[in-house]
Amino acid sequence: MYRSKSKAMALLPWLLVLPVVILRAFTTIYPVTKTIRDSFFDIRLLAGKNVFCGFENYIRMFHDPKVLISIQFTVIFVFVSMFFHITLGVLLAMALNMKFKGQRFLRTIVLIPWAMPSVVAGMAAKWAFNNDYGLINDLIRRIVPSFQYNWLIYRGSARAAVIAVDLWKDLPFFAILVLSNLQFISGDLYEAAKVDGASARQCFTKITLPLIAKGVATLCIPFTLWRLTSFDLVYSMTSGGPGEDTALIAYRITTEAFTNLNIGYASAMAVVLFLIMMAFSLINMRITGSKKFET
Amino acid sequence: MKRRTGRMLSLALSAGMALGCGAVPAMAESTEASGDYDLTLYSIQTTDPEFKDWLSDVESGTGLKINVIAAPTDSDTRQQKVTTMLSTGDSSVDIIEINDEMSTTFKNSGWLEGLNDTVMTDDVRDKFAKGYVDQMITNVDGQVIGVPSYTGYLAFWVNQQIMDEVGIKSIDTKDDFMKYMEAVSGNGRFGYGGSWEKTYVFNEIAQFVNMFGGDYYDWTNPHNKEAMEFLHELVQKGYTSLDQLPDKYEQMNPKAIDGKYGCWFMWGTGTDYANADMLGDDKIHMAMVPSFAEDGSRSIFTDSWSYVLNAASEHKDAAVKFLQYMTGKDGMEASYKYFDRYPARADLAEEIVPDSNPVKKMYAEYAKECNVQGRPMLPQTMEFISAMGTIFQSYMRDEISIDDFLSQAQGYVEEYQ
Repeated sequence: MYRSKSKAMALLPWLLVLPVVILRAFTTIYPVTKTIRDSFFDIRLLAGKNVFCGFENYIRMFHDPKVLISIQFTVIFVFVSMFFHITLGVLLAMALNMKFKGQRFLRTIVLIPWAMPSVVAGMAAKWAFNNDYGLINDLIRRIVPSFQYNWLIYRGSARAAVIAVDLWKDLPFFAILVLSNLQFISGDLYEAAKVDGASARQCFTKITLPLIAKGVATLCIPFTLWRLTSFDLVYSMTSGGPGEDTALIAYRITTEAFTNLNIGYASAMAVVLFLIMMAFSLINMRITGSKKFET
Repeated sequence: MKRRTGRMLSLALSAGMALGCGAVPAMAESTEASGDYDLTLYSIQTTDPEFKDWLSDVESGTGLKINVIAAPTDSDTRQQKVTTMLSTGDSSVDIIEINDEMSTTFKNSGWLEGLNDTVMTDDVRDKFAKGYVDQMITNVDGQVIGVPSYTGYLAFWVNQQIMDEVGIKSIDTKDDFMKYMEAVSGNGRFGYGGSWEKTYVFNEIAQFVNMFGGDYYDWTNPHNKEAMEFLHELVQKGYTSLDQLPDKYEQMNPKAIDGKYGCWFMWGTGTDYANADMLGDDKIHMAMVPSFAEDGSRSIFTDSWSYVLNAASEHKDAAVKFLQYMTGKDGMEASYKYFDRYPARADLAEEIVPDSNPVKKMYAEYAKECNVQGRPMLPQTMEFISAMGTIFQSYMRDEISIDDFLSQAQGYVEEYQ
């Protein structure tokens, strides 16, 4: 009697999530399988083509200079952006964790960029980095009056500008989430450390960092995945330019799928991105699940 | 078990984020509440302050109740939305306004209804510019798929205040052009200004190729090389700025209005300049395109946005009625009156546009003195345009040589033709 009741209880959660699982199957599993299937076909809507082509799309992708540039920039974008998310995010979180007048106000306004839609931020950034009318150069010219530079016309500076806007927009959100981790650290620990003669630096490296490490590592999973699939910022800010230098892989997929209507080719790229994300997620989960992060 | 389930759910979430391209995007939102409408129009004009007056005129002229959906103002987004609608057989929109890029892309796709028997009958078709109709909006079966809503030129614009300042009266030849460049350029001002974003610069590449007597579909033609080296020289000598590389028209026009450019090419009748109180014979105005070719010929591009009928439409009778109205005097007059759109039919332009309008005189001169052509486009239009724009930007930034540019350009022509 007790056993069958406990069996029914075990099934109950599955029953409750079943509607969501069905919905997910329709909205996720179907598009995924359809995309994998399409990646083996040469589907070009404008040419009226839809023929099986095996791995041709995959082979073409790794010989296509546009895709290679996109992959290169995506790797740079993800690593540089995440590096600064972590370093600056932790610093900002610590600053927001300090007690000072106006702390609440600062915590609120710091989130404003994050609340702004990416497309709006991208369009504003396009103007902000304009040499003639932009806010950035205007600020620089207050210190160096003869300063002239158009950020969006050279590969390096255009890429730096895109990464800077991405950081400006999402870093505060990352910092607020780190802040929530910081607030779980008991003040007693710091007091005890101080009694034992620990310096501020030692407090940070021996108490703060180890205690927020798991939280930060966990945050890195969605934040990295968002960077990998980032599309709207580049779309509205640079259109992938100059040339193809700031075309992130998600932007390239969208262009191939919806502008050029090369559905098969776009699907192959999407599958590769999917595999990269899957591998990345597994690595991340392995790291965050390891004993190093047990507290 | 819990961890494994969690992993699976995370992966599913990742997949959902990564693989958006299998899903069908949602339809654009209507600007009006749904109701009993005779047809739905997908329009690019909804941001015009006089749009409602235009719509009211058209509704009373046709007797149709028209639902309007606003097309995105961004060209890439707009093209993607229209492409998605047409390629998925979406019947929620009946009439769509499309530009030359889209008509070249879609005219042979079967997604647009042929209009030869209903709207663009022989007698009506003959009243539009034949070259444009044949080249841009006629499909391989000889069916005309659109009704041009206006006539436009990629006009040559000059800043008269700057011309007066440097003492140059006209820019008629290549020598005049270069003298003007030299006189104007310096101190943050440039003789020539452009919109060189990779999907916009195509207009100017093709314009200069034509001006030098080249052929956009043949990059082995020495005149093409001459044209590209000429543009490169303008950059090298500081007569035009690399800063315009990310500029679309919305970035270029403020610079033109602020007197940063001596001359430029631009579509339309100068609404932005008029709004800034900078349009006029003594300020910014259209001028005759200079002649660069050895034979003294002048070249200019014409364009239009056309109303097309979605083949999946369920309101074809109403749509045909709308299109017929747009080919006639009332339809063209409404467009001219409310949107400043120059009538696409020459006979009606003569009737509708007053002689006092300087555009009328200039357009008549363009038609008389220039070799008027539709822009060179290939079926994979945006892909081709973007590819050409990308290598152009690379050449202007000295990342590739002129020979690399020419061979890659020829490669793209062969790939997309």
